[in-house]
Amino acid sequence: MTHETYLLDRSKLADSHTLEVARADGAYGALQKVFESSMSPESVVGEVKKSGLRGRGGAGFPTGLKWSFMPNHETDSRTRYMAVNADESEPGTCKDRILMREDPHCLIEGCLIAAFAMRLDAVYIYVRGEYRLPYDRMQAALDEARAAGIVGDNILGSGYSCEIHMHKGAGAYICGEETGLMESLEGKRGHPRPKPPFPAGFGLWGQPTTVNNVESIFNVPFILARGADWFRTMGTETSPGNFLCGISGHVERPGVYEVPLGISARTILEDLAGGIWKGRSLKAWFPGGSSTGVLPADMLDTSMDHDSVKAAGSMFGTGAMIILDETASVVRSALVLARFYEHESCGQCSQCREGTEWQEQIINRLLSGQGKSGDVELLVDLSKGMFPGKTICALSDAAAIPVLAAIKYFREEFEACISSPEEILA
Amino acid sequence: MTKIIVNGREVEADPQKPLIAACHEHGEHVPHYCYHPGLSVVGSCRICQVEVKQGEMPARVVAACRTPVAEGMVVNTESQGAHDSRRECLEFLLKNHPLDCPICDKAGECTLQDYSFQEAQAEGRTSEPRRKLEKRKDLGDVILLDQERCILCSRCVRFMDEVPKSPQLCISGRGSHSVVETWQDAPLTGNYQGNLADVCPVGALTLKDFRFQARVWNLTRVPSTCSECSRGCSISVEVLRDGEVKRMRPRPNEDVNGYWMCDHGRFSEGELNRSDRMGPAAMRNDAGQLEAADPHDALRVVRNLLSIQSNALFLASPYLTLEEGEAFSQLAKSCSTQAAFFSPEPNELGDDVLHTGDPCPNRRGLQEAGLKPMDSEEWAAASASADCVLLVGERLLDMLGDEALDALPTAQRLVVMECRTSNHPAIDIAMGVPNRVERSGTWINVDGTPGAIRAARSAPQGVRTIVDLLGSLTSASGQPEEALSS
Repeated sequence: MTHETYLLDRSKLADSHTLEVARADGAYGALQKVFESSMSPESVVGEVKKSGLRGRGGAGFPTGLKWSFMPNHETDSRTRYMAVNADESEPGTCKDRILMREDPHCLIEGCLIAAFAMRLDAVYIYVRGEYRLPYDRMQAALDEARAAGIVGDNILGSGYSCEIHMHKGAGAYICGEETGLMESLEGKRGHPRPKPPFPAGFGLWGQPTTVNNVESIFNVPFILARGADWFRTMGTETSPGNFLCGISGHVERPGVYEVPLGISARTILEDLAGGIWKGRSLKAWFPGGSSTGVLPADMLDTSMDHDSVKAAGSMFGTGAMIILDETASVVRSALVLARFYEHESCGQCSQCREGTEWQEQIINRLLSGQGKSGDVELLVDLSKGMFPGKTICALSDAAAIPVLAAIKYFREEFEACISSPEEILA
Repeated sequence: MTKIIVNGREVEADPQKPLIAACHEHGEHVPHYCYHPGLSVVGSCRICQVEVKQGEMPARVVAACRTPVAEGMVVNTESQGAHDSRRECLEFLLKNHPLDCPICDKAGECTLQDYSFQEAQAEGRTSEPRRKLEKRKDLGDVILLDQERCILCSRCVRFMDEVPKSPQLCISGRGSHSVVETWQDAPLTGNYQGNLADVCPVGALTLKDFRFQARVWNLTRVPSTCSECSRGCSISVEVLRDGEVKRMRPRPNEDVNGYWMCDHGRFSEGELNRSDRMGPAAMRNDAGQLEAADPHDALRVVRNLLSIQSNALFLASPYLTLEEGEAFSQLAKSCSTQAAFFSPEPNELGDDVLHTGDPCPNRRGLQEAGLKPMDSEEWAAASASADCVLLVGERLLDMLGDEALDALPTAQRLVVMECRTSNHPAIDIAMGVPNRVERSGTWINVDGTPGAIRAARSAPQGVRTIVDLLGSLTSASGQPEEALSS
């Protein structure tokens, strides 16, 4: 299967993370084009809107539309920020680290274009603490770009100035939630803020702020360089462009693959990832990271784009597929995820703090042969009490959804823990 | 103002305040834990769920404390969806709660208990072990923390941060491992710790002073005003059936104290519960002892004294009410002298939160009533030359001190109307008066705002009010005894 690629093209070059190699490959060309063609900030936003680019951080919100929520600079003179969410912590998701490690200049270029479009004063890149090499590469690229007059004052002689700062996270999943990220950047605990107010009106230090995922910003230079119409030739009508699919689990060739949105999950699994390992067959798969509901094998022909996966009853998320083969225990995988969310809940909201712990306790009991009749019903009931929209952020939803989906499609596995505990223990 | 419809009723709502405030203002109770009208809003407990319909959007259940009011919003606080959400939330909150209500001081005024009953959640579905945390964590002189009861609403943390602006509490740990703590278990400090027990919606933060002292449903709550400084915080005096004052708590009053009071005022009940109360009247007998007397006799002697004095000193306690001050002033006038009130030195407790540092709760009121302030030095000078001294009101003897009475000339007559007994040899006549939880009247605070004090219990038997005693002296003072008795 062949298709047009762009996201990972440069990263195939040797030393693609250096300014020299990146520039030779056309890095900062889009930025130069924006400045030289005297595009207005509004027309840059317009182009991104026209491209139909949807956020790659999980929610799939249209990026251009998000940018247009920033208040009018003529009536609102406050400092304006963007925070780039590089706190990639969703289990299964591993795309942003490739981008930052192999092609940091493209991210910097995207940041600067976004900064120009939204008239930002500064950009913060919040990098997951464990991402040492991606962080170091980003920092080195930033230093190089600054020395070359690309970041800071009077960018490329355009008269436009913008600073980019790096920030290292300290290891909490919740800091990847946009308002938790802002709290963390401000030096506080990463406790998500209730919305409203939304970041565009009251963000970092109370100033207008936009939070975008690394991959979303990474798409921007290509859209500006080649045009929104070109961008729309890839992907689907409602989800244009390519995306990076990180596929993991029981597959022959796990990794990050660049594919157009709308590609079938089967193509990714069978053609790119080499199918299920050890000649086994598929039992279940997560379409877009741990927070998206698990789907059974017979839904593998689902198209990988936001609307199709939603129609299938799950979420596209970050497009990170997690594959379980026929030998895997769905209950055990539910326990792994429940433990994760129990550990990562910030503890503000009652439903999430207590609910994640309760889920973990019940599933743990099921797997220890201590299940009781009614446990599965209770698990369903309490998970339904955790969402939607009952808490400040979506972590509670993210904990509840996979458990409910697992029970929806694999209820008999959960029931078996109660009816024949000796098999589980064996 | 914004017009919204709450439970079918169109009401006006302040757009600066969250929806929950509008509901509460209009008498529609919405359960809440983390929300407190005197603190910032975090929206984390998620119990305040109400159903909201805006425009053409379908009705949805939202947290009322984080929802701004909008014109035309239709709110239903009692919808099935709202109740279901609250019930779910309560189940989560109760999952690790120890349910030790029978030994919890908060029982009876605990909203976790109240809402659980309201939402009719009779049985818990959890069989998991409950979290084992510290049940008696010492947070200093005032507060004891039971981490197991805590529902992590963070009111206490925000209170310390925002009101006394003395951040000492935090929530440490994450998720289900969160606990309220002080930094390295340091004891809490400051004059506002007692409020923590009030803001705590459950029995996690309790007053050491009130621990196991009373079941709250046995307390009678009487609205009154704090006596310990010229702020005059609105308070509730809470007494047991035997009349013992068990607790004093702030009463919301936006004009004066908001929702708070200081510990200095809160823990002043010891003075009110003392047992050495002065009887209705006592006079010095031939043996030189103060002996219980008929109050009518005592009053008659006082009248005589006042009628023959030529240089009397009238000194009131700074705790006299406006009404008592007026009566005192009038009596002084009829004796051709100037009434004064004892003006204590400012103390070091003054701050920019509530405490003014002026221990006189009614300075403005007494001045309005025509009394002039008199400090220790002025008292020493005036009392040395007076031939008759009348001391009226509670705690005056303590404020003056025994030395001040020791210094009085022996020929001088000393009449004392006090709450507590005294055997000081200088006293010729003593009469008991009610203390500040046994009488009603008005104090005027430092800003000129009146604060009512109300009798929360009756005075000891036979003890008459100051207004009554002074009134009966005024009507007859300056006249010979014979005229009076005829």
